[in-house]
Amino acid sequence: MFELLQAELGVALRDYVGRETPLYLASRLTDHYKNSKGEGPLIYLKREDLNHGGSHKINNAIAQAMLAKRMHRKTVVAATGAGQHGVATAAACAKLGLDCTILMGNVDMERQSSNVLLMKQLGAQVKPVEGTFKDATSEAIRTWVGDLDNSYYLAGTAVGPHPCPNMVREFQSVIGKETRKQALEKWGGKPDIIVACVGSGSNALGIFHEFLRDEDVRLIGVEAAGNGLESGNHSATLAKGEVGVYHGAMSYLLQDDEGQIIVPHSIGIGLEYPGVSPELSFLKDMGRAEFYTVTDEEALDAYTLLCGLEGIVPALEAAHALAYLGKLCPTLPSGSKVVVNCSGRGDKDVATVLQYNKNKLPN
Amino acid sequence: MVGKEADPAAALQRPDSFGRFGKFGGKYVPETLMYALTELEAAFKSLSTDHEFQKELDGILRDYVGRESPLYFAERLTEHYKRPDGKGPHIYLKREDLNHTGAHKINNAVAQALLAKRLGKKRIIAETGAGQHGVATATVCARFGLQCVIYMGAQDMERQSLNVFRMRLLGAEVRAVHSGTATLKDATSEAIRDWVTNVESTHYILGSVAGPHPYPMMVREFHAVIGKETRKQALEKWGGKPDVLVACVGGGSNAMGLFHEFVDDKDVRLIGVEAAGFGLDSGKHAATLTKGEARLPWVGPEHSFLKDVGRAEYYSITDEEALDGWRALSCIGDISCTGLSREAVPTLPDATKVVLNCSGRGDKDVQTAIKHLKL
Repeated sequence: MFELLQAELGVALRDYVGRETPLYLASRLTDHYKNSKGEGPLIYLKREDLNHGGSHKINNAIAQAMLAKRMHRKTVVAATGAGQHGVATAAACAKLGLDCTILMGNVDMERQSSNVLLMKQLGAQVKPVEGTFKDATSEAIRTWVGDLDNSYYLAGTAVGPHPCPNMVREFQSVIGKETRKQALEKWGGKPDIIVACVGSGSNALGIFHEFLRDEDVRLIGVEAAGNGLESGNHSATLAKGEVGVYHGAMSYLLQDDEGQIIVPHSIGIGLEYPGVSPELSFLKDMGRAEFYTVTDEEALDAYTLLCGLEGIVPALEAAHALAYLGKLCPTLPSGSKVVVNCSGRGDKDVATVLQYNKNKLPN
Repeated sequence: MVGKEADPAAALQRPDSFGRFGKFGGKYVPETLMYALTELEAAFKSLSTDHEFQKELDGILRDYVGRESPLYFAERLTEHYKRPDGKGPHIYLKREDLNHTGAHKINNAVAQALLAKRLGKKRIIAETGAGQHGVATATVCARFGLQCVIYMGAQDMERQSLNVFRMRLLGAEVRAVHSGTATLKDATSEAIRDWVTNVESTHYILGSVAGPHPYPMMVREFHAVIGKETRKQALEKWGGKPDVLVACVGGGSNAMGLFHEFVDDKDVRLIGVEAAGFGLDSGKHAATLTKGEARLPWVGPEHSFLKDVGRAEYYSITDEEALDGWRALSCIGDISCTGLSREAVPTLPDATKVVLNCSGRGDKDVQTAIKHLKL
């Protein structure tokens, strides 16, 4: 049964999602980060923005939707922040003929309204929840528990109780597997450094997992510093959080002294989550992966930079990973191979960036 | 004019040395542009056999654009169109919606930008209506570090402000055109005027298989990758060729891109679907081939030729039918895709292989659809 599922999933990833995604040498971005002597690393983008639906989320959504069908569930329930997981889940459910209910924070519904329309068009029911993603997640779990026989809770990221984090990571690990193969084809070696944005951790784990045992491959996760770490308005769970239990798992968590959840903030709505994947917490503690942060402003600048240099519009979430290149590149030996996970496209963010850039453009 | 029995589509070189497809096509332009067009044609012909150019273009199509695009068996859509006896065609979608920027347009834009660079041009101009071609052009100019000017009707700019901002984000200058009705045809006139003035430094990226020779041929060749991949993928999937190819026709570039590979395969039916708007008799449509009036005055000359010799068939669907098709596709087939025909499907024998060119994703149309479908 497992082999049949793998075969069916393989076809769906190829023909429906559009995999493999390319490993693209961003030559103008590479030139931009060269020093005055013309030295610098080579920057590659893993193009998860080209997937059907516009982000890495579909890798997991299609696989779990197939699992739900195998388990004879009729309805899928999911929570979404920026809407990418909601769109991916709605699409997968439409394809497989499953009913779909998406819970979304009312604040997020306003900020990412284009995704709400898309989900509805794809046949999903979109239910507003007071608050943001963390509140939608709580409500989704509650909804699932209320109808365990018929419904399937489709976790969008590597958080929640076991086996959710493990499953999501496995389904996203196709990103890293392809990267290894493509790196070998392109330069006959491995990446030296892999950089990914971290909200809850699914795209980061998806690209890191393949290389965990390759000690010579540096793994860098970039979290959202929002208005700055000292402002208290951020989503930098690994940078500033403490260990606690949230949504069914023990992990780092943004909580105050009384154990109350701190409301997170980021311009990248998909990064706004007070928790983080337990596996990433583990990798941080054992020193296998490094974690840094970038502010809203740095992410917005990185978004605009990639548009102008490569004609690629990144999701604001992915722009966080790109923004870290500014600090990273000057420290690297010339010719280092850096792979950045471009986890999604940023059409959904154009209105937000328009608002931010209003005063900055010449015409 | 040759008759159908003589199989003229195969017999003639398409186009001939004057850029004609039968009586259609040619070069009806001001004298100042003749040299530029001749230079362009010579460059194009020479680069077609240049391995370095082809290798560079293939690399860009693969790593930047994301090709090959899949040939996707649309299972639920196939079910939807089955007749009461359970028989019906197998419907496959050629997924041009998965390309970078979300449509087939980029295939031609990257190739022309690369060509322009080879010609030593540093400046690119284009016209755009709703903004799709403008965004594709601005995209490739950013990628190749070329200066980019997009002409857009002032009316269109108001309606498509997000696309205008997108183009500017990508580094393009968007120039408002206020003359005439301040829409696409006026933007095109301005772009041509610019090209006449700046022809030595500037390349004009025409977005469709229309315009003066060599554009219809060049744009077709740059989109022909769609059909080439389809042939290969059809062979892999079912060991044969498509029976029917269906594509929407505005100017005609995505249709020519899919059809071209198969024009000489007489057992492959070619079907183009135009926009009948509020209906062909309403006067408010863009069905140039079906109705024979030049409302949208630039359907590609090769399409006009293929229709005249009977090699391809052209039908039209109304706005309402298009929205129904869109809705069926996204709720059942779950891909937001523009352009679908219901005409040919009910008449096809069981297990006929139909390949439909899903020429772009429909995220941009959700607002329009929601408004009209009252979701």
